Amino acid sequence: MKLLTHNLLSSHVRGVGPRGFPLRLQATEVRISPVEFNPDFVARMIPKVEWAALLEAADTLHLVEVPKEPIQGYEHDERFLREMHHVLLEVDVLEGTLQCPESGRLFPISRGIPNMLLSDEETET
Amino acid sequence: MAAVPGGRRSGSAAGAHFFCTAGRGLEPFLMREVRSRLAATQVEYISGKVFFTTCSDLNMLKKLKSAERLFLLIKKQLPLNVSSVSKGKIFNEMQKLTNDDPESWLNAISIWKNLLELDAKKIKLSQKNANSLKRKVGENDIIAKKLKTEQMQEIQENKECQLEKQIEEETLEQGNFTTKRDKSQEELQNDVAEAVDTHNQNDLTFRVSCRCSGAIAKTFTAQEVGRVIGIALMKQFGWKADLRNPNLEIFIHLSDIYSVVGIPVFRVPLASRAYIKTAGLRSTIAWAMASLAEIKAGAVVLDPMCGLGTILLEAAKEWPDVYYVGADVSDSQLLGACDNLKAAGLKDKIELLKVSVIELPLPSESVDIIISDIPFGKKFKLGKDIKHIIQEMERSSHPFPGHFCGLAYPPAVLGTGALAVNRTELLPTWGWHSSVGRQIMNKSTG
Repeated sequence: MKLLTHNLLSSHVRGVGPRGFPLRLQATEVRISPVEFNPDFVARMIPKVEWAALLEAADTLHLVEVPKEPIQGYEHDERFLREMHHVLLEVDVLEGTLQCPESGRLFPISRGIPNMLLSDEETET
Repeated sequence: MAAVPGGRRSGSAAGAHFFCTAGRGLEPFLMREVRSRLAATQVEYISGKVFFTTCSDLNMLKKLKSAERLFLLIKKQLPLNVSSVSKGKIFNEMQKLTNDDPESWLNAISIWKNLLELDAKKIKLSQKNANSLKRKVGENDIIAKKLKTEQMQEIQENKECQLEKQIEEETLEQGNFTTKRDKSQEELQNDVAEAVDTHNQNDLTFRVSCRCSGAIAKTFTAQEVGRVIGIALMKQFGWKADLRNPNLEIFIHLSDIYSVVGIPVFRVPLASRAYIKTAGLRSTIAWAMASLAEIKAGAVVLDPMCGLGTILLEAAKEWPDVYYVGADVSDSQLLGACDNLKAAGLKDKIELLKVSVIELPLPSESVDIIISDIPFGKKFKLGKDIKHIIQEMERSSHPFPGHFCGLAYPPAVLGTGALAVNRTELLPTWGWHSSVGRQIMNKSTG
């Protein structure tokens, strides 16, 4: 699970609503692997990023060199884009958990795939 | 150009004449594709085949995504008249296919040889590059990229730089799956070796594959027709028949609409993708669905019931600057999808989640595009569940102009239908209703 994906995920436990975002990340196995750098693509993702969530996740993983916020003219700033590229796309959480900040419900991450299935009771209104 | 009685000959200034078979309902997609990818002219759709003319080489032809198979056209004529009494008379008619205009046959074959030879030269060149890169390919993309840029610089001046770039991209991105690519390269090289081997027309070995449909099929078997044509060809050109491993394959389709003769350009159908390890949904349909969704660079695309990930694979190959997410409830499907992603070298482009489509763990309006092959009928109860699915999809995607593109199986219809609907006009009731931009396509059964 890349951090760009984590940035997209929200807890859907009943009654939690927008307080289910962001999910608290805990990782027991992380892999960092090079991904082809595509500055255009990264630049387009920047406006979609929820920064607080990203910073929190990056912090949990003890990542360094994470920009705190988008800078002016980021589209042309290669260094900024490369740093974002690394954080968003090159860090893969293979094993760990995601926790709903409101309900405490834990969602496991296994082989890089987060399991967000809720039981029948949890989905009942 | 001499007047030719009936039929069309291959090869002119505008390019060579081809035709493709296409699954039912995919013909409009194919027509659009040949026009945009190949700048094709004289594009015609007749009864399951799309005919067109183009100057494009094999590399571009290989990229066609909505076609089943590609053929070089030898002849396209009015259908044989089978209302005659004598079978012998009809056999004579069939022989005319080969005897009336031998020029058109030889013409087509020389075009076929040229196409393959040109492609072989490029393959040799790419193999040279591939060999020097082989050690580096694998996890270490960075070094490979460096070499690539160096080589790119070297060949900037080269006339054929366009083609080489393509080949290099292909060789590099498929580091994990050299076996499959080598195999198809081998096959192509075999094709070329065979084509080149036959300096002398007399050395050419061939095989006839025949299909009969409509009224003709009631009177003749495909084997009979194949045999008649085969013998006529042997007499006309002195070729030898080889049913196992011929140089040249001749494909004939006799129907109520036309008589078509062609040479299959590739041994493997275009629909069979080298980059898909295990297909779920038919690749041509998956691509067509993705093309309906109007995916733009920088989009977030979700397939909430991705199964083995076929739609996402097709989409990611065609529109790479996009963030793809696939979700499914089934472990085995996700495992298969994961395998597929690895085999296609797309692990970094497509993320997977174990998620239920009726409870998407996504904030509202976080996704740009949703595409899915929706399993109606068997797995889901009609009515309520479908409504939930659609509601969830609507909630998680942007309002207008987001697109929703689903493969539906309306219970009353035998075939399946797919719909690209402007999201705001999607009605939450069971049964798909027409709206602006509706396109129906049927799932092919072959």
